[in-house]
Amino acid sequence: MGLLTNLHRKVIVLGLVPKFLKQLPQVAKLLMLISLIMIAIIPMDGQYRRTYISENALMPSQAYSYFRESEWNIVRGYRSQIEEFVKNNATAKERNLEVESWLQDFGIKTSIYHNEEHQDTLYGILHTPRGDGTEAIVLSIPWYNGDDEFNVGGAALGIGLLRYFSRWPVWSKNLIIVFSENPRDSLRAWVEAYHTSLDLTGGSIEAAINIDYASDSDFLDYVEIYYDGLNGELPNLDLLNVAIKITQHEGMKVSLNGQPKDTIDDDGYFPRLKTMLLGIRDSTFAGVKRVHGNEAFSGWRIQAVTLKACGTEGNIDITSFGRVSEGIFRAVNNLLEKFHQSFFFYLILAPRNFVSISSYLPSAVIISVVYATFSLDALVNTPFGPPMFFNKESLLSLMILSITLASSYFLSQLFIYAPNPGLLIGLNILLTIVPYFIRKPVSFFKEPLTYRIRVFGYLYMSLVLTSLLVINFPLAFMMGILSFPMTLVQTQQSRYIANMSIAIKNMLYLTLSNPFFAILIVSNVIDSDLKYLDVFYDLILAWNDLSCWTWFLICIGWFPAWLLIAMSTIKSSQVTSVEDEKKQQ
Amino acid sequence: MLCNTMVSIVHTLLFLIGLAIATEEPLNNAEGTNVSGQKFRIMETGIQYPYEEHLNIRPLPHNHLLTSFEFEMNSEPFFPGDSSLDFDTYDHYTVFPKAIEPLLRRTDVKQLHLRFTRGYWDSEEWGRLPHDGFKSGGSGVELWALIEGSSKEDAFKKWKTLANSLSGSFCASINFIDVSKTNYPVLSFNPQDREEQGIPLFNPTNNLYLMHASLANEPICTENLTPLLKLLPSKGKSGISSLLDGHKLFDSTWHNMAIDVKTKCVDNNHYLNNGECFFEMEANVDVVSHIPSVLARNKNPIPKPLGGEDLYCDLSKPYDGYQCFPSPETTEIQFSLSDLFGKNISGSNDLSFTHSRICVSITDNWLATIKMDEGLFGTDDNCFDLTENRNYDIYMESGSTNEVAQIDDVPIYVSRSLTGYGQDHGGLRTVFSNPTSKPVRLSYYESLPWFMRIYLSTLEMEATSEAHKNLTLNDIVESRYYMPSIDRKRSTQLEFIMTIPANCTISLAYEFDKALLHFTEYPPDANHGFEIESLIITILEPVPYQLRTATLLVYLSTPDFSMPYNVIIISSTIMGLIFGTLYNLITKRMVTMEEAENILATRSIKYKLMMLRQRILSKLGL
Repeated sequence: MGLLTNLHRKVIVLGLVPKFLKQLPQVAKLLMLISLIMIAIIPMDGQYRRTYISENALMPSQAYSYFRESEWNIVRGYRSQIEEFVKNNATAKERNLEVESWLQDFGIKTSIYHNEEHQDTLYGILHTPRGDGTEAIVLSIPWYNGDDEFNVGGAALGIGLLRYFSRWPVWSKNLIIVFSENPRDSLRAWVEAYHTSLDLTGGSIEAAINIDYASDSDFLDYVEIYYDGLNGELPNLDLLNVAIKITQHEGMKVSLNGQPKDTIDDDGYFPRLKTMLLGIRDSTFAGVKRVHGNEAFSGWRIQAVTLKACGTEGNIDITSFGRVSEGIFRAVNNLLEKFHQSFFFYLILAPRNFVSISSYLPSAVIISVVYATFSLDALVNTPFGPPMFFNKESLLSLMILSITLASSYFLSQLFIYAPNPGLLIGLNILLTIVPYFIRKPVSFFKEPLTYRIRVFGYLYMSLVLTSLLVINFPLAFMMGILSFPMTLVQTQQSRYIANMSIAIKNMLYLTLSNPFFAILIVSNVIDSDLKYLDVFYDLILAWNDLSCWTWFLICIGWFPAWLLIAMSTIKSSQVTSVEDEKKQQ
Repeated sequence: MLCNTMVSIVHTLLFLIGLAIATEEPLNNAEGTNVSGQKFRIMETGIQYPYEEHLNIRPLPHNHLLTSFEFEMNSEPFFPGDSSLDFDTYDHYTVFPKAIEPLLRRTDVKQLHLRFTRGYWDSEEWGRLPHDGFKSGGSGVELWALIEGSSKEDAFKKWKTLANSLSGSFCASINFIDVSKTNYPVLSFNPQDREEQGIPLFNPTNNLYLMHASLANEPICTENLTPLLKLLPSKGKSGISSLLDGHKLFDSTWHNMAIDVKTKCVDNNHYLNNGECFFEMEANVDVVSHIPSVLARNKNPIPKPLGGEDLYCDLSKPYDGYQCFPSPETTEIQFSLSDLFGKNISGSNDLSFTHSRICVSITDNWLATIKMDEGLFGTDDNCFDLTENRNYDIYMESGSTNEVAQIDDVPIYVSRSLTGYGQDHGGLRTVFSNPTSKPVRLSYYESLPWFMRIYLSTLEMEATSEAHKNLTLNDIVESRYYMPSIDRKRSTQLEFIMTIPANCTISLAYEFDKALLHFTEYPPDANHGFEIESLIITILEPVPYQLRTATLLVYLSTPDFSMPYNVIIISSTIMGLIFGTLYNLITKRMVTMEEAENILATRSIKYKLMMLRQRILSKLGL
């Protein structure tokens, strides 16, 4: 303790604390830099880890897969009939009834879930003799995949697989096959109904494999695996590892986060960085951008992945793709406990490389500290004497914050009922330029109040990020970075000569950090799925169809903070400050 | 072609020989059915005991086969009034298992029911459960007993003794039945019948207590079958029990083992003084097998892809060397019991009044024959008595397996599922579907562990069909019994008597909270979830029938079990920090910075040296 006391004494003697407090904005900027560097060093050798199977029971690829030889004939047989559906323009009802009869032929209990809003879903349960009927594994096959292509190969493969599974006595969990109309709302509606109102159920769903094989070719090139859940949820890393391991074991290349085929084999710092950043992007916009099917299971403790067959040329045949599902089913079937051994929060750098939450969380924590620091700066570095937290300004700012929050909430709800991105953008342009056009000081905004508003604006942002960063790191990280320009905004004080450059700078920073502008720009730049104003419609759809919170986090988490900061740039009326008093003296 | 030839040969055989040796008359109907009080009887063939065994075989749709083994045996009569210490009493067990009787007498059990069940009974296809469901349990182990005792505590003590002893005899975890798993059914398990049966009380001041417990999803395996076989006088060595083999039995689609013991007295009114009583025990084993799967597994244990020539393609759809739309499962089948059970029946039972009897319930398009040595013989009623001491087998075949003997319709379908998500609450939803045109009156018996805290206030009924939209819960439920749970002491017990209107589907749903367990209460596989026992539905009208829903798996919030280690480390660190600071505060003097600097200045070696120098200099007078 002696050492610490000496240090403490030195700090006091040298007066470091006030000096440090004066430099808070610089400290915060430095922290932001550190945070980015911490993310950037993750893909460096020695920073990440190789994936491994944590749950010993899984034993992926340990059993020989027999889905081959004459099973291929059967898959082709089913496919020829499914192709007939396309030729005859069969309606969803006809399709479901026909496939239902095929499933019943090999002893599947089937039922059709009727939903007028989200279309009907056919599902069947293979009650396994050795199981206790309390757990289930799902094979889901949307009739149309995320790209709205007819899932010909997937449907044939799914039926063929289930028929093949029905001959095996090894199953300890019920097997459920689901044919939903699309991988988005209709699959989600079925999953929701399964947990609320369906009469035919097969126990708790442990894992779900979504099959996307939208070609009638016998061959494929490589496999894309999608794993992002909604609201920052991810499937247990064990399931993803099992899927990747088995796919590679069957001789297929695995592409994650939509990497094109020619870059799959790239290894090195930049390819890893790219995969990681693409993962952060996909996770941020999960549910908003194109949905693959695994997202629909998110939120019910169901671990889900989507296997997508890519390409129609290649030396991999459809039964190999089927053997991947077989292998995953065999592995999950071995589980005695639900998935819990491995990580639920991770970033993937390459199919076999990952980092766990402990590696990337500190950088998000630092980002939230950045905002807290700016808040502290606005509290202590004012020309109005020593900071008193509990005063009239604080109360006023709190009230302003509450009003802002309420109006943001109102806006978010209003937009759900009447989505009009043009109007939204217009409103925000207005809000951004209003401070610029207010030439006269507003009497309500006294100078100390503008500082206090900033305190609450940054503090609120920091709180939002802190509470979000564990459950949804990518979104918190994205929000933290995108709203950084708002920390550069300066207060416009009438004491200084009306400085046009400050006002213009402020307007620029406010534009950059406006949640709606930022999301619009980012979605158009980094995601080819989201064009122009699509992102706003998709945000609303994601909430309506999939219960994805991103829209509300942007509206209620980010927008109020931005509004407060924008408010603080309004020209404020002058009051005598401590400095003025000193000068007068 | 080959099959047709076979059939015609068999038919010829039947016609020529079969009729000639058709079933002998059942040896003695009178003695066989009313064996009470009979100790044994000496016949020309030797000493015979009150023991019977039957095997009923019944094809079910979609190539399934139900095989039911029934064994019945009675104990030696005894006088309840006699003390075992009397000079002229002795214990003698003939066909009645020695493992059971002393246990029953020690624990005053009047009725004992033990069930080992596993698998999925497809009631939509297969109709009613064997014995109308009264001989099968929920998935896992189920035990209930009627025990005579002076008080509830006394009866529970005996119940615990019973459970522990049965646990040892049957190698099952029945000893895990404790106070929190035991229920006292009130409305279910036919209390009226109990009254009418006039269960004898050996001590008029005592009462009867019905206790029930089940261990959901307890694995059932060979180590449970072997003890059951050992209870039989034939010990699984001869008669129909020689068919039973763990490998095949537990490879089936659905299987059930049941033991029922009842106390019967010759004259219920006078047993106290001179009436003699005896125990009647029934043991049942029921198996459903999917015949094509079993035959395929006999051929090749691994269900590998079939060769091109073994594929059955739908000829109405395109098929060639590359594609094959599989045709529905074959309806032609031929097999013998030894294919299904891996063994022949070795001989008959020589202990009893009647021979072992095998009956096959089939329609005309089925053929069932008994195979003795190399000959096949049939009978008119498709029942066969095993009279000789040699190997038997049953051979069956059919060209249209989906036509099976009349299947009784199930009066009601009931299924139950968990609803909701999250670790802190959930819901249970039970669907009753009455497909018949008669209202069904039933009793509902549900026992839930204490860590599911149910809210009866959330109990809601919903009718799916338009015609019954106006039904309310009170229209359906005529009486209810609810025993709330006590943490770690008692489970929730919920019983209803309800009537489901004809052609109506209703659902009953309620919500519950999940409690947190103590750290040590989690089982080793805490992340597996917690098994919830089946819901038991007993139909009172129009036909007596009992069914159970599937068991459920409830997830509770489970701690990360490495956490205590982290907690110990963190809390130790915090304790250390607090202690250090406090110690400093208490032992050190608080001074201002100036004082501190003064003190420091006077303490430095330089200062001391200077002082020393000054002192020396002053001593020297310089």
